[in-house]
Order: sequence, then C-alpha cells, then structure tokens
Amino acid sequence: MRKCKFEDMIDGYLLNKLSERDKELFEEHYFNCPACFEELQARSLIINTIKNHPEVLVSEEASLKVPLATRLKRELAAFFNVRQLAMTGVISLIFLAVIIAVVPKRQALLPDFTLTDTETVRGSSITLISPVIDMNQVPSFFEWKKLGENVEYQISISNHELLWKTTTKENRVVLPDEVKAKIVPGERYSWQVKAFGPDGSLIAVSSRVQFLVSTK
Amino acid sequence: MRDRPEDKLRAEEDIKELMVRYRPIITFRVRKAIGAQNTDCDDLVSEILSQVMEKITSGEFRGESSLGTFVYTITSRRIVDYIREKTRVMKFAPEPEPFPDPQETLEQKEMSEKVQAALEKLKPKYRNALYLYYYQELSREEAAARLGISPRKVSELVNYALKLLRKEMKI
Repeated sequence: MRKCKFEDMIDGYLLNKLSERDKELFEEHYFNCPACFEELQARSLIINTIKNHPEVLVSEEASLKVPLATRLKRELAAFFNVRQLAMTGVISLIFLAVIIAVVPKRQALLPDFTLTDTETVRGSSITLISPVIDMNQVPSFFEWKKLGENVEYQISISNHELLWKTTTKENRVVLPDEVKAKIVPGERYSWQVKAFGPDGSLIAVSSRVQFLVSTK
Repeated sequence: MRDRPEDKLRAEEDIKELMVRYRPIITFRVRKAIGAQNTDCDDLVSEILSQVMEKITSGEFRGESSLGTFVYTITSRRIVDYIREKTRVMKFAPEPEPFPDPQETLEQKEMSEKVQAALEKLKPKYRNALYLYYYQELSREEAAARLGISPRKVSELVNYALKLLRKEMKI
C-alpha cells in the first residue's frame, strides 16, 4: 500500500489541530487526491462515532455504571418487549446479587462520599480525566475537568479504606510520595472528586472511577 | 472549440463525471466548515457545483491549476461568503455556533452503528488507545505516558486498530 505523505495530516485535520496554513494545504490536497479523500471519509466516520459514543471504548473497569446500563437497556429493547424486559431485569438483578456475594473482594471499594442533609447536588458531575484506565505504573497525578473559577475540589483515593484525601483549587493534583508508596501494583484503587463553591456548598460530585496498577 | 456535436457530447459526459467525482468532496468540505446539521449544506453544495460547471463551460477554467484545485478554490470562496453573510445576520439574531456537531445525520446513523459494533469487538488495548487519542484528543506522547508505552507504540496501536475497523466494516 503506497502511503501519501499527506495521510499524516488526516487526524490533525479532523481533530482541528492543524495550523490554518496546513489546514488549507490539506484541503486543497484532498480535492486532488482520491486516496486521501477516501481515507479521510472513513476516518471521519470512525472519529465521529468515537466522539458521539465514547462509552463503546471505555473498558469495563473504567466504565461508569450509568452508560453501561443505558447501553444494555438499548440493546435489550431491540429484542424484548416490556414484560420480557422486566423479567430479564429481575433475573439479571438476581445474577448481579449472586455475583456481588460471590466475589466481594472485587467490590471491596467503599463509597467514601455520602450526602448529608445539608448538602445538595446541583448541576452536572465532574468528568475525571486520569487515571480512568489501568496503569502500568503508579500514577503520579490525578486530573479532572475544570468546572469554573473559584471552585474548590476535594479528591479522595481509596482501596478498602480511605487512602488519602486533599483539597485543591486546581483541576489536578500531584500524588505525594508517601501516598504513592502506599499504592501497590496488582491492587485495585478508586478515586472521586467533589467540587465546592466559594460559600462551601457542594456543587458537583464525580463518579467513582477504579483503576488497577498492573504488576509487571 | 466546442462547436462540433461530438465535442459537445464529450463535454456533457465530462461534466456528469465531474459532478459524481466532486459532489462528495465538496459536501465533506462544506459540512466540516458549517456543521453537518446545518440545513443550508445541500443548497450550498448544489450552488458550488453549478458555479463550477458554469465556469468550466464558459471557459474560465483554463487548466492553469489542476481541476481539483480549481474546484477547491470555488468551494472555499463560497464558504467564506456564506459565513460572512451569516455573521451579518447573526448580529441581529444571535444563533449558536453550528459546530462542534454532536448529532449524527440520519444517513450516517446506520454507518455509525456499524462502527460501534466494530469498536466493541476490538481488544481493550486498542480501545484504550483510540479513546485517549481520538476522544480525549491527547497527543501521541501524552497518550503514551498515560498508557505506560512508547509514543511509537501508540501510533502502531491506533493505526492497527483503524485497519482492523476498516476490515471489519469493509469500507
């Protein structure tokens, strides 16, 4: 397969990462190069699908419960009517209960945050950026999407119990060495971020995301 | 000279071929510039195509550049004009930016479902690489640091995943 030298620009073009000049160069090019245009169309389709349905890519450990449930629901709806669906739901719930009972170790991560009566959740949740998938080494920092100015974030990391908790105004936090030392390869950890407004009120809570540091 | 009947016929065939060849390219460029959901897309594409035909039949295209570049220039100019017109209108009636475009057009929906099915079949290492590289738009180096592999390996994973996807979808 002969590769056109412009092929390297396709991703940059579709993700809007090219400079204005490169963008124009590449646009003129694909009006002239059928091979690049074909590749561009195919890749655009793939990237658009990924952008619209990222949940397809997120592996089980990192995937949040809600999208997975919605996805299952959507797939099931294609096959069952409401009654059958309800039955399937009940059966799956029983299965789920059994699975949770049989493998309690895997589910050992305690939710650390509960809302008290004085706290309410407003607005959307916080999107966690890293780590959300399994790591080859102990992560040196934790990062999430910024919500706005004047927000204080409280981050907590836990395995069986709370490992570390801190607050920051940034949207990332570097793991201190003493905490890093406590993270053992092969163990499963989870983390969560809560955001507080200037008046100390809870604005948003992220979902609790798990990650595993692999042993190699 | 286009006076002889066989020449005329030839020219008509050429134009038909031209439409078939450039319509998808122009459509892609227009959608990228003004958003696929924009209802003006189809009109704009037709307008550009008739402008191209007009300029070719009137002899304005003299082969100084390639035909592709000629069509590209007309397309880009028309898009700039369109955006200028829109901005003027928007001063009186503000409209949200047409892109980024979160929705899929109907015709793409079916294709997108095929892609989703193919994506789900990929091994986690490929899915993770695609997620970081295309969804989070990390650079090769950032994705490499996140996955604990070399940047070169990230490219390999992404390229191979694309190959697998296209094989699976037969596109």
